[in-house]
Amino acid sequence: MADNGNIREAITKLFAGEKIDFVPNFSGMGSITMPGIEEYGYSFNQVHVDAKKMATGAASTYKKFGLHSAVVPFDMGVEAEALGAGVKYYEKGGGQIIYPTMTTKLVQRSDIEIPSDLPENKHKSFLRKAIDQAIVDLDVQIPKDLANTGRIPIVTEAIRLLKEDVGSEVPVAAWVLGPFTLAGQIMELENLLKLSFKKRDVVNRHLSKLADYLVEILNLYIDAGADFVTVREMGATGDLLSRKMFGELIQPHLTSIFNRVTQSPTVLHICGNTNTIVDLMAECGATALSVDHKNDLVETRAKLPDTLIFGNYNAYGILCEGTPEDVDADIKAIIENGADAIWPGCDIWPPVIAENVQAMMAATEKYGALVIDN
Amino acid sequence: MSDNDEKMEEILETLKNGVIEFEEDEVIEAAEEAVELGLNAYKCVMDGLAAGMDVVGEYFAEGEYFVPEVLMCADALYAGLDILKPHIVMGENQQIKGTVVIGTVEGDVHDIGKNLVKLMFEIAGFNIHDLGRDVPLDNFVESYLEKDADIVCLSAMMTTTMIGMPIVIEKIRAKNPNAKIMVGGAPINPDVAAKYGADATGEDATNALQEALNMIGVLRDLSDFEAERKAQELDADSLMEPV
Repeated sequence: MADNGNIREAITKLFAGEKIDFVPNFSGMGSITMPGIEEYGYSFNQVHVDAKKMATGAASTYKKFGLHSAVVPFDMGVEAEALGAGVKYYEKGGGQIIYPTMTTKLVQRSDIEIPSDLPENKHKSFLRKAIDQAIVDLDVQIPKDLANTGRIPIVTEAIRLLKEDVGSEVPVAAWVLGPFTLAGQIMELENLLKLSFKKRDVVNRHLSKLADYLVEILNLYIDAGADFVTVREMGATGDLLSRKMFGELIQPHLTSIFNRVTQSPTVLHICGNTNTIVDLMAECGATALSVDHKNDLVETRAKLPDTLIFGNYNAYGILCEGTPEDVDADIKAIIENGADAIWPGCDIWPPVIAENVQAMMAATEKYGALVIDN
Repeated sequence: MSDNDEKMEEILETLKNGVIEFEEDEVIEAAEEAVELGLNAYKCVMDGLAAGMDVVGEYFAEGEYFVPEVLMCADALYAGLDILKPHIVMGENQQIKGTVVIGTVEGDVHDIGKNLVKLMFEIAGFNIHDLGRDVPLDNFVESYLEKDADIVCLSAMMTTTMIGMPIVIEKIRAKNPNAKIMVGGAPINPDVAAKYGADATGEDATNALQEALNMIGVLRDLSDFEAERKAQELDADSLMEPV
């Protein structure tokens, strides 16, 4: 490995805009693998609720496969849970891997009581209006002792354990959802999407509060030792929202987060079709952008010549479903297309095929070095 | 053209535009007027509401409308459908076309796509059993058998949950190798669907919605009264593009 063999130092330089002599392969999103955690005898459901297991699981992807980072947490429920939403942890056998999901939201359909005398064909519109009203009335409260609320202390403890364990070798990272995606976790997504049109002031009020909340969480993660942090606004992809709505409703709140999180490098991740919004993403002010395989990287590189762009392999497609040959070809193409780091388009999905991850790290070294030599 | 015909044309136009412009109140008003005048409710649904949604599908394909707009259009459509549906005369030009079991697989609580597909089946006159979201895999199999369903629709928004689909498909196929199974959702494409042994799906994330919207177009073509004979032959197969 180049740069005196220290990956962490090299990635720090990369974030600082300095040239490094290899293309790193790392992630700021969930990167746990079943082959990695099975060596410790852990099941998938255990790693979300126990700091030691969370840290050990996160480190195992570096230790077993050499990925250039160790990242926590793994599921999308941490932020919503600390706001009072309910998360279900699945106890599953038989190889069925299920991530924790939100089972109760702060505003949800099942809390709305339909008057018993209301004819059935009026139920839908009654429900919709009642949910809309509940979202208007919702006053999100940021917990006073956030550092000790929900699983935040588990994540921060895991970050500390990772720092001790692998922190001198690879960057330790943590991530949060973006405000809009988080809003979808604490209220009915369908109503949120429609209110984004019909009552934009209400949605803006919630997003602004959630942005404040996320800044607090990110700073707790950075204080615990995270070398960089990622904000994942996957609910605001170009597949769901127009460029116009992204610019008017999503971008201002992301910008407000990145303006305030200054103690570590930051990454903005959006998946799906980002081709129509990459320039707006860049304006949000994160240190680097992360996109998935639906992004036309060549085009994005041309649009944003000076922006750090991480991407964009299809983590499920190549690591779980592909062959080592597919992986090799994909990594080669991504480096040729101009990515500043090989980075997955989403979480690395746990049941990876070990040979594929090995092939990916080998391809990174092979083609990453070639590019630099040229 | 008789007064009633003229009135019909006017109401169809209002229903259609009301859906396109997501003007729910206008749709409700026009649907109520149609019922008062005793106009053909099936025609109002197909040539008014569904015709509007057909245009919405075009707007969506062209990138003029995005998901929030489509959802608002669907609300307007539902508002009209709720009023008109009880007045559709069964057997005349509308019959129950089959029974559908639909739901989002365990571990996944996203149901926007599922609800749009469900709406499409509702317009088409299917009996629908909606199992909701985060549905334990075995419930699909049980419900399929219990309801003697013609079609099972499985939805997953996340890569992490779509793996439940082949488990359900395998179990249903064990009971009935010829069961019609549709899969849909952001991570699903025709390759995945084929690999899982499903009969149909949309192209990708947005196209899963597009596919549902396209189906409305197919149904409308078949709803033409002169093609009634054709409509009677409409069954689950003709709704599905082969994978």
